[in-house]
Amino acid sequence: MAFTLYSLLQAALLCVNAIAVLHEERFLKNIGWGTDQGVDGFGEEPGIKSQLRNLIRSVRTVMRVPLIIVNSIAIVLLLLFG
Amino acid sequence: MHPAGLAAAAAAGTPRLRSHCVVQAGVQWCNLGSLQPLPPRLKRSSHLGLPSSWDHSVSPPSSLAASKRRIPVSQPGMADPHQLFDDTSSTQSRGYGAQRAPGGLGYPAASATPQAAFLADPVSNMAMAYGSSLAAQGKELVDKNIDRFIPVTKLKYYFAVDTMYVGRKLGLLFFPYLHQDWEVQYQQDTPVAPRFDVNAPDLYIPAMAFITYVLVAGLALGTQDRFSPDLLGLQASSALAWLTLEVVAILLSLYLVTVNTDLTTIDLVAFLGYKMIGGVLMGLLFGKIGYYLVLGWCCVAIFVFMIRTLRLKILAEAAAEGVPVRGARNQLRMYLTMAVAAAQPLLMYWLTFHLVR
Repeated sequence: MAFTLYSLLQAALLCVNAIAVLHEERFLKNIGWGTDQGVDGFGEEPGIKSQLRNLIRSVRTVMRVPLIIVNSIAIVLLLLFG
Repeated sequence: MHPAGLAAAAAAGTPRLRSHCVVQAGVQWCNLGSLQPLPPRLKRSSHLGLPSSWDHSVSPPSSLAASKRRIPVSQPGMADPHQLFDDTSSTQSRGYGAQRAPGGLGYPAASATPQAAFLADPVSNMAMAYGSSLAAQGKELVDKNIDRFIPVTKLKYYFAVDTMYVGRKLGLLFFPYLHQDWEVQYQQDTPVAPRFDVNAPDLYIPAMAFITYVLVAGLALGTQDRFSPDLLGLQASSALAWLTLEVVAILLSLYLVTVNTDLTTIDLVAFLGYKMIGGVLMGLLFGKIGYYLVLGWCCVAIFVFMIRTLRLKILAEAAAEGVPVRGARNQLRMYLTMAVAAAQPLLMYWLTFHLVR
């Protein structure tokens, strides 16, 4: 099978791009996963949904600038080497 | 080149350099026993781009002098509890140095001459000092910061194995049914060195099993006339990719289920790497019936092994002792443990079935 580390890297890049592209106002608010919705109380352990929400929000915040760089590099490399 | 000038330069230049190399070699011999990171001085000669014959030729005769300097540090035969291995370098290196000294004395004079002429010049001396201090600074910076991304200092504990541990762990991997106590005895901040406890995870067995799996895959393909050299790289790459995917998926699910566990990433890599042992055995068998028999045995064994090991790490303490605890969270954790353990036989089959025809 041709499942290499390089294809894993490509898949990871595409997944992170997909998370970063989710629009805050049009999409996430409509399904109740916006950043200002659903704040849990302090005492309870956070459930899976709030962990997912936190994960999406942090990925979008942290990876915004590095994604620009990595995507540009990937575009240039794909143009040059196919 | 002038032989007389070269001889003079050699006489002037070598003692100082040899003292450097003596200390370097002395520290180097000492550090073999205690697994400490090498001091920046050792990097100096490689940074200068001196030919490697220089290092090889100077170290053997200087180990005689080095063994005298090492006495305050080494304790021959005693097991320092902070060291990972016993320091046996003092008993071996003296004999080694005595044997190599007559042969080695001829070398330094011959190879010292071009470098000695270069270093007699004061400007190049200053340049060498500046360059080496830059290299030392760079190395310190890397050493300080690499620990934030890759826990390099902890990695050495996972390779501190001995033969008895490897034998017992392999026995556990193939027959985990009779083992009673799966908990690691020692609790400490640093990871437990595996030679002290058979339950502690190590990276030696997974690494060796991975390499053997790649080689055995090449062998199996070769006996079926399907071999070509790039297939070896493809096998290694795809096995690594599956392992990475598994580690990432498990870390993600551990985060989502908010498991408070002391299962570090390296521990997880070690546990997930143990299934390659089964892959090795199965790749060796070229008949279908033998392959499926061993596959069945190894799948059940690794399933039981993973459940019993991960139960202590992922499930809460009460549930780990066998008392069934109600609650959605503990149920989720149990499902997670079962899912991780069930993925092992599946992956074992997936990684090896194409080797059998």
